[in-house]
Amino acid sequence: MTQSDPGGRRSRTVNTQLPAPPDSPRDQGKRFPWSLSFTWGTILKLLFLASVNMMAIWSFPSMWSQRWWPGLIAVLVSVALIDWAYLSPKRLPAKYLVPGTLFALIFAVVPVIYNAYIAFTNFGTGNVLTREQAVENISGRVSNVPGSTQYSMTVLAADDGLGEFGLLLEDDSGNFFLGTDDDFIQLDPEEITRDENDRVVEVAGFSALSLRQLADRQEELTDLEIERDEGGVIKVVTVTTAAVYEPLFQYNEDDGTFTDTETGVVYTEIEGTFTAPDGSTLTPGFRAFVGWDNFTRIITSEEIRGPFIRVFLWNYFFAIFSTAINFVVGLGLALALNHATMRGKRIYRSLLIIPYAIPSFLTALLWQGMLNQRFGIINELLNANIAWLRDPTLAKVSVLLVNLWLTFPYMFLISTGALQAIPTELQEAARVDGASTPQVFRRVTFPLLMVTLAPLLIAAFAFAFNNFNIIYLLTGGDPPIAGAQTPAGHTDILISYTYRLAFETGRGSDFGLAAAIASLIFIMVATVSALSFRRTRALEELT
Amino acid sequence: MRNWKPFLGLLLAFALVLTACGDDGGEDTTAAPAATEAPATTTKAAPATTEAPETTTTTEAPSEETTTTTEPPVVRADADLVIWADDTRTPAIKTFADQFGADNGLTVAVQELGFGDIRDRLVTAAPVGEGPDIIIGAHDWLGELVSSGVVSPLDLSAVAGNFSEASLQAFNYEGQTYGLPYAVENIALIRNTDLVPDAPATFEDLEEVALGLVADGTVEIPLALQQNGNGDPFHNYPLFTSLGGYVFGLNADGSYNPEDLGIDSEGGLVAAQSFSDWAEAGLIDIDITYDIMTESFGNGTAPFAITGPWALPSFEGVNFVVEPIPPVDGGDPRPFIAVQGFMVSAFAENPLFAQTFVLDFMATQEAQEAIFAADPRPPAHTAAFETVAAGNPNIQGFGLSGQNGYPMPAIPEMGSVWSAWTDAYALIFTGSDPVQAFGDAAEQIRTLIAGG
Repeated sequence: MTQSDPGGRRSRTVNTQLPAPPDSPRDQGKRFPWSLSFTWGTILKLLFLASVNMMAIWSFPSMWSQRWWPGLIAVLVSVALIDWAYLSPKRLPAKYLVPGTLFALIFAVVPVIYNAYIAFTNFGTGNVLTREQAVENISGRVSNVPGSTQYSMTVLAADDGLGEFGLLLEDDSGNFFLGTDDDFIQLDPEEITRDENDRVVEVAGFSALSLRQLADRQEELTDLEIERDEGGVIKVVTVTTAAVYEPLFQYNEDDGTFTDTETGVVYTEIEGTFTAPDGSTLTPGFRAFVGWDNFTRIITSEEIRGPFIRVFLWNYFFAIFSTAINFVVGLGLALALNHATMRGKRIYRSLLIIPYAIPSFLTALLWQGMLNQRFGIINELLNANIAWLRDPTLAKVSVLLVNLWLTFPYMFLISTGALQAIPTELQEAARVDGASTPQVFRRVTFPLLMVTLAPLLIAAFAFAFNNFNIIYLLTGGDPPIAGAQTPAGHTDILISYTYRLAFETGRGSDFGLAAAIASLIFIMVATVSALSFRRTRALEELT
Repeated sequence: MRNWKPFLGLLLAFALVLTACGDDGGEDTTAAPAATEAPATTTKAAPATTEAPETTTTTEAPSEETTTTTEPPVVRADADLVIWADDTRTPAIKTFADQFGADNGLTVAVQELGFGDIRDRLVTAAPVGEGPDIIIGAHDWLGELVSSGVVSPLDLSAVAGNFSEASLQAFNYEGQTYGLPYAVENIALIRNTDLVPDAPATFEDLEEVALGLVADGTVEIPLALQQNGNGDPFHNYPLFTSLGGYVFGLNADGSYNPEDLGIDSEGGLVAAQSFSDWAEAGLIDIDITYDIMTESFGNGTAPFAITGPWALPSFEGVNFVVEPIPPVDGGDPRPFIAVQGFMVSAFAENPLFAQTFVLDFMATQEAQEAIFAADPRPPAHTAAFETVAAGNPNIQGFGLSGQNGYPMPAIPEMGSVWSAWTDAYALIFTGSDPVQAFGDAAEQIRTLIAGG
C-alpha cells in the first residue's frame, strides 16, 4: 500500500491545505476569493473544528460553576492544541500525533491512573461522601424528643422576606410562639396581623414569605435551629409544621471527633469512619486514603484467598486453551476456504461470520437458554438429560464451546487475511524443492502466518483472560464450589470473581477492593503479554 | 484507504453535533438511551417525553421542555423538585407532582429510571449534586443508602398511625425512619381453581395433589416455584420458615441481629433436608425460571404457583385464587415482606418541599389509592388497603399471606446472604448433601460479614 501511493497522499495534502494551482481542473469553480482554497475537505475540516470548539465552549459554564479547574484546563489545552495543529497548513506530524495522544490520554492513561488511585482508597458503600459531607450528615442526626409537640408553623422573615427568619408556631393547645435564631417567646394572639382569608401577614416586624421566597431560602430554613429554654431544638419538618428534636452527636472542631450527646462516647476518625473505642462506628463514613490496605486484604484475608488459587488456575487455563482452540478452528477453516479449488467461498465466508455479527451478550443468553437442562433445545434434540451448566466439568466445557462459537469467526477473518498476504511463490518454491503439503504448511506458511498473527493472539489471550461477558451471562460463575470459604463458582474467572466479591457480597459495593484486584489483573496480563511479545520478536527475524 | 477519511470526519462531526444537541434536550436523542436498557422502556419513554410540558407549572419561563427526560439520568432534571421513579409509578406520581407544583408555584419533574438504577445512581449522583430530591424505592435499599449517607430521616410521627406496623418497621433503620411506605408486597400461594377446587389444608396435602396431577398427566409442573437455575432464597423463605428456619434473629426492638444467623439453625437444617426431598420427588425444579413459572401457571399446566402480585397480569387466562401458603409440617410459613416507599435525599436541593410533598401529599388515603390504581400493589396505608381489598379478593389474599411476614432485612450484609444462600440451594438441587450445603453457606456468610 505504502509503495503504491506516496505521491497520491502528497497531492491530496496539497489540495486541502495549500492554495491550489489556478489551473488545477479539480478546483475549478469551487474556489473562494480567499488565499485558502475551499475544497470539500477543507470545509469538512472547518466544520469539524468548529464543532469541537463549540463543544468546548458549551462545556465551560458548567465546569466553571462546579469549580472543576483540572477539567477546565484540560479542555482548554486540548482544544488549543487541536486548533493549533489543524488550522495551519504545516505541522503534518502534529495532525496525527495530537488527536492520537489526546485519545490515548483520555481513554487509556486517565482511567488507569484513576483506577490505581481508587485502589488506595476505601471508596465503596458506606464511604462515598467527602469528609465534610459526612460530618454535616452526622451533625444533623437528631432524635425526636418523646412526647414533644408538633407545631403548626407559618414562616415569616424580617425585611419583607429577605432578612432573619421568624417562625410563628402554634402548639396543640392554641398557644402562639415566635421563634428566631436566638429567641423563643410566647405571643399574644392579638399581636398577629391576618388578612381577610385569615392568613398571617405580619408579626412583630416579621412578614409572611411568598412560596417562591420560601423555595429559594429553604436550605437556610432547614438549617435553622431554634433553642428552647426547656431543652431541645425546634426544626422545620414541612412547609407548615415544625417539631422539637435533640441532636444525637456533637462535633468537636478542635480534634475532629464526635461525641454522643447521651452517653458521652467519643468517636474518632479511623480510615474514613468515625469509630468508638469499643469498635462501634457511625454511619455514614467518608472517602479516605487507606494506603496498601486493599492489597494486603487480598493477600492476607481468608475470605478472598479461599477459592483464589482455583479461580486463578482456571482463569489461565480458560484464556490459553480458549485462545488456542479458537485459533486452531479459525485457521483450519481459513485454510480450507483459501484452497484454490474450493467453490462457493463467498457464501461460506459470509455464513461463518454470522456468529461474530450478533452481539455477544445476546449470543451468551441464547446459549444459556439452549443449554438449559430441562427446557433447553440442545437436550431436546439430543434426546438426553445432560447437565450442561450444572456439572462442574461440563460447565467448563460449555463455556469453552460457547466462547469458541463467539470467537472463531474473528480468528477465521485474521487468518484468511494473513494467508492471502503470503506470496504464493514461497509455497511454490518450497514445493519445487520437494516439500510435502504438511511440510510446506509447517515450515513455510505457518511461521510466516505467526509473524502477523502472534501479536493478535496475544491480544486475544488478554481479552479472553478478562472476558467477563461470557462468564457472567452464560453461567454467572456457577456451578458453585461446595465448601468454598466465600461464594465462588467452578467457571468463575478472576474478573467475575472480583465482581462477586466487590459488588454482590459483603456490604454493597467495594470499589476500592475491586480496583486493587483489577490492578493486579492488569499486572498479570501485562507481564504475560510482555513476555510473549519478546518471544514473537524472535519470529519476526525469520523474514 | 484514502477515500473514506473525509467521510469518517463527516461522521465524527455529525456525531459530535448530535451529542451537543442531545444535551440540550433534543427529543430524538432522549429516547435512545432508554432503548439500550430494555425494549420495554422505549415505549414508555415516549409518553414521558410528551407529558413534560404539563409537569412544569407556572412561574418560570416556558423553556422547561427538558424537565421530564429519559436521557442518562445521572443528570438532575432542571426543576425545583425532582422525583426519581420507575416506569410503572411515574404516571401515578405525576398527577400529584403537578398538583403540588401548581399549589406551591414550583416546577416539579418526575424522572423515569430503571428500578435498580434509582438506588445505584442515587449513591453516586447525590453527593456531587446531580441527585433528585425524592426517590421511590424499596425498604431493603436502606442499608446501602443510609450507610452511604444519601437519604435523610423523615419524621413520620404525624401520619404513622395510618400505616401498617410492618411497613413502618421496614422503613426503620438503626432507630430512625427513612421513608414513607406506600405498598407492602409479599408472596402467596396461587391456586388454579379449575384443577384444584379445594384449598389444601397442609403443604403435605398440596404436594400429594400436585404430584398426583402430574402422575395422571393433567399438568406438567406440580408447583410453579421459581428457582432461576440456581435457587431462590426469597421465594423459598415461607417454606424455610415454616420448618423452623430464619435468616437473622430479632433484637428486642424488632430489628435484625446480624450476629444471629439462622440458616444453619436446627430448623434451617431440617428445611435443607426437606428441600432436597422435594427436589428428589420432583415437586421443586431448579430449572423453573420466572418466565416458565408465569407461562406454566398462566396456561394451566401448573396447578399451583408461589409468587407475588407482580405476576398476576400473566394469569388472566385461568381461574385462580390467592391464599396463604399452607403450613409445612404444622409450622407457620412467613414470607419476606418488601415495602415500597418514598425517601428524601440527604442532598435534596429543596429538602423542605420534598418533605412537605411526601408527608402532606403522598401520605393521604387518596394518594395511596391513586398509586394503587396505576400499579396494583397492596397499599401500606391501612384504610386505603381496606378500601382496595374490599373489592379485590386477590389483594386480600396477599394481605392475609403477609400477616405473618417479616420485612426483608435491610442491613448491607444481605448481599452476602443472598449470594451464598443461592449457591447452597443450587448445590442441594443438584444432589449435594443438604446439611453440608447450608452449613457451608452459613460459614461463608459469617466470614463475609466479619471480613466486611
